[in-house]
Amino acid sequence: MATFELYRRSTIGMCLTETLDEMVQSGTLSPDLAIQVLTQFDKSMTEALETQVKSKVTIKVVPSAQGSRFTQGLGEGHLHTYRFCDNVWTFILQDALFKNEDSQENVGRVKIVACDSKLLTQ
Amino acid sequence: MGDQGGLEESQPVDLSIHPSGIVPTLQNIVSTVNLDCKLDLKQIALQARNAEYNPKRFAAVIMRIREPKTTALIFASGKMVCTGAKSEQQSKLAARKYARIIQKLGFNAKFKDFKIQNIVGSCDVKFPIRLEGLAYSHGAFSSYEPELFPGLIYRMKQPKIVLLIFVSGKIVITGAKVRDDTYKAFENIYPVLTEFRKVQQWCALPSLHNSPHTKKKA
Repeated sequence: MATFELYRRSTIGMCLTETLDEMVQSGTLSPDLAIQVLTQFDKSMTEALETQVKSKVTIKVVPSAQGSRFTQGLGEGHLHTYRFCDNVWTFILQDALFKNEDSQENVGRVKIVACDSKLLTQ
Repeated sequence: MGDQGGLEESQPVDLSIHPSGIVPTLQNIVSTVNLDCKLDLKQIALQARNAEYNPKRFAAVIMRIREPKTTALIFASGKMVCTGAKSEQQSKLAARKYARIIQKLGFNAKFKDFKIQNIVGSCDVKFPIRLEGLAYSHGAFSSYEPELFPGLIYRMKQPKIVLLIFVSGKIVITGAKVRDDTYKAFENIYPVLTEFRKVQQWCALPSLHNSPHTKKKA
């Protein structure tokens, strides 16, 4: 089964990669095994996010009434950039409102990278 | 951006060009230009903002800019289509901006053979129209099949323009390469539209159609 490597750039993924690097360097782990661990990490992250995470987050950008992208203020965000290449969507949102069950937060700029999970089962 | 329709309405209408007193609003301009250099579409999609490239679906990069609000289709051959502008000048400005973006990504893009390919305008005559009657008397130019499409498709020969005429009195004028053809086509059709103006009350239909049998349609 194919895997997405995008979770390796998360904090937990970076830590794992660093640790594996150290172990390979000190000779306690073979490079092949390190790769295998990373591949398993990719699979486990995808599976965990799919099955274990129950909380829902909504992301909202409310364009300002005038449609001016330079107006700053609460809930006056916009889609700064989008890109679709190699089946990966990238969005950069300005002034997005993140909401979950019990809190909400305004984020000045956020990048969303999205892959099509259907590609994994092919 | 200023509302074009509002702008034109605030100025007096030149009745020598627009005897009807109605000026069609330009809604979409399609233009093409040749950048005259081979392009690596994947590199463009990865480096430029607001680009989509899905070669399995379509063999061009789809790119958008906000000012003038337009969409461009950029092909590997270096040819480009620019759509969505509201005037010829805006379309050219947008095409130039796309060419500049491609240049900034390191391609030797030129700006050859810019051409306006289509102009779409629309307007509202503000009275309902009897499409059946119009289709019948202008059979050579009209196609009206309400089961397929609710508007009457009128293929004018001179100028060679297609008009979509709706019962509501809303008109779409397409196929022009110069805006004067859009205006001319509308002025040509306007007297025909007034001739087939639908009278709201059925009892007040013109005598031609005022047989008792038409009542069943009401």
